[in-house]
Amino acid sequence: MFLLAALPEPSRIGDVLMAFLSILFEGAPYIMIGTVLSGMIAAFLDSKLLDRVLPKNRVVATFTAGFLGLVFPVCECAVVPVIRRLVQKGLPVSCAVTYMLSAPIMNPIVAISTLTAFKEFQLVKGFGDLGNATMTLSRLSLGYLVAVIVGLIVLRFRPSQILQAKVVEGISAPLPQDAPPAPAKNFNAKLVHAMRTAMGDFLDTAMYFTIGVIITSVFNTQVNQSILDTVASSEWMALPAIMGLAMVLSLCSTSDAFIAAPMAAFSMAAKLAFLVFGPMMDIKLLFMYSAVFKRRVVMALLIGLFILIGCLSEPWMIVIQKLATK
Amino acid sequence: MSGPRTIIHFLSILILLLWSAVLLYFHLSGRVAAYLPPDGIFRQMVLISGIGLAVVALFNLFTTNAEDAGCEAHGCDHDHSHDHQDCCGHHHGHNHGPEGESGHTHHEGCGHDHDHGHSHGHHDGCGHDHDHGHHHDHDHDHSSHDHSHGILAESSWPGRIAALLVLSAPLTWAAFQSPDRYSANAITNKGLYNPNYNDTSNADKFTLRTETAETKAERPKPNVTPQPTAPLPPPAQFSQPDAVVKASPKAPEKAQSYGSFTLEDLKKQVPQSKEGNFILEVPEIYYTAGDAEVQKAITGQPVETTAQVLPEKVNNADGHRLRVFRMLVQCCAADARPYSVPVDFGKKAPEFKDMTWVKVVGTMTYKKEGDQMVPIIEATKIEETTAPADAMIY
Repeated sequence: MFLLAALPEPSRIGDVLMAFLSILFEGAPYIMIGTVLSGMIAAFLDSKLLDRVLPKNRVVATFTAGFLGLVFPVCECAVVPVIRRLVQKGLPVSCAVTYMLSAPIMNPIVAISTLTAFKEFQLVKGFGDLGNATMTLSRLSLGYLVAVIVGLIVLRFRPSQILQAKVVEGISAPLPQDAPPAPAKNFNAKLVHAMRTAMGDFLDTAMYFTIGVIITSVFNTQVNQSILDTVASSEWMALPAIMGLAMVLSLCSTSDAFIAAPMAAFSMAAKLAFLVFGPMMDIKLLFMYSAVFKRRVVMALLIGLFILIGCLSEPWMIVIQKLATK
Repeated sequence: MSGPRTIIHFLSILILLLWSAVLLYFHLSGRVAAYLPPDGIFRQMVLISGIGLAVVALFNLFTTNAEDAGCEAHGCDHDHSHDHQDCCGHHHGHNHGPEGESGHTHHEGCGHDHDHGHSHGHHDGCGHDHDHGHHHDHDHDHSSHDHSHGILAESSWPGRIAALLVLSAPLTWAAFQSPDRYSANAITNKGLYNPNYNDTSNADKFTLRTETAETKAERPKPNVTPQPTAPLPPPAQFSQPDAVVKASPKAPEKAQSYGSFTLEDLKKQVPQSKEGNFILEVPEIYYTAGDAEVQKAITGQPVETTAQVLPEKVNNADGHRLRVFRMLVQCCAADARPYSVPVDFGKKAPEFKDMTWVKVVGTMTYKKEGDQMVPIIEATKIEETTAPADAMIY
């Protein structure tokens, strides 16, 4: 163990710095993975490939995009730079939005961490009593549903109404049929391009991430958290309160279930809202999204997701609980 | 590469190396232990990302003059100095049709070159474009092929400097000035004085029932399925905390019953000091309050615990009490929560500096205070001690 200098005494500022670093250590690795991936996409992914793979029908494609997280599991920090590149490679914005919202939830790592945190592993012995994993099932399914709904709404708009102008400009237009084939670029040059893109994307994402984490850490250490307990006990305030909490805590979707499970004061439906809303929207994401989407769209997303998940989580939990084997 | 692009390129590499250095330093110095739990891959990921960022940075450093596939197509090397001076060359980006029917008529790679010619040629005559001004409100002078280079390459200089500051200042400040532990203020804000002893949500991790003498020495990893040993309560009670917990603000009037638990069980499962005190962690004492049988078995028994101390602010009009606590972490230090119990001295409590690590020896008692059954250590001895290796419980 070596230290640069004696550690400073704890202080109010020190509390913020400590919380800041701990969230940053948790998130930075995933941002790195996401941006290296996005660099690779920018340099190596042939934009014709997406065209070929995705269903031609936009609505069907949107429904499909909701499941992509199962194949490419990423958390919400990693997904933002990735979808920006995918859109520029020709992925329809509706699919990109659906993938962005669902991938941090509809993904095997998150399913396992939710099963573990809510101790649902013991309850599922086989496919027959899959319904006993109430929280995991309802989380994944509601996450998928909400992501597809938002994607279908996005389908009604033009990319230029949704995306930042600089992102729109980067979209590579489909080649006309009679165009000469693009000159084959050599691998080294592509790799250079991938790494430069990764670097730029990392700095982009990390900047918004940093701002979000600062705000989160101030709230986390400087505001008395017991105000949350008081609202949690109110039937009407519990859902908005827990989604507000998800917002300010800015947790990673791979680990938020461990935070939600011990929240004694909240009902299962409220925890569901926390686990679906959190990966789709929080303070760090608010800033990270604004690197890709127009500010108006980010605000609409914030309000829309808040209302949609707030309204759906209670009935959804009841429906899923019906599935549980008695 | 032209001037400003080279500067941005090197600044980007520097920032990446800074992030990498902080991640590597915290991992290699072991300080990461104060921030992330040992289980899972949290700590290893810090090391991996530290190395990864260094690799990306160094790769970019050594290939500074190499050919870039993205640039080859779009002609990066003769762009920005022009683009950032004039206001033309962007208007084509706003004619998009509905999704998928992009209004671009140029095809990949070529349209941009054309664009440059355009902007050179009309350098003086672009006032009409500027007048519309609809793409200048994003504080970026976006170039037409910026999609490879991010905010630093796109912004104006004030924007770039702000971005560089956001990327470097808070991280550097935190790396040098983070104390690796919380102050009393943060611990109070995180709920030190709002314990809920009726809560059972984390109880299976700390219940005395599941821990045998062997597993006690090596604390079971969080989130591991509890070993179903003999006196384990029916799983349903723990697996659906809500059943118990939903009513918790109004609180069950007395502790739940989970089946028999005797003094013999206690002796079997909890290590004892040579004086015969049961050595327990604060969260374990905390959760005894929610379990009627454990409570009965342990009442009146001598216990010993190591924890940090703060003044008591609940039911302490006569100043006889202190509060001892440990911080419990789930995923990272930001979600740490204090678990605390009062220590009663029966006379004026001794004074300790806030947050001092103490070893408390005393007798377990339980008192109904407010709507909660509160576990209280009636202290016979309290002394300052050194902090344990892991200040936080994971």
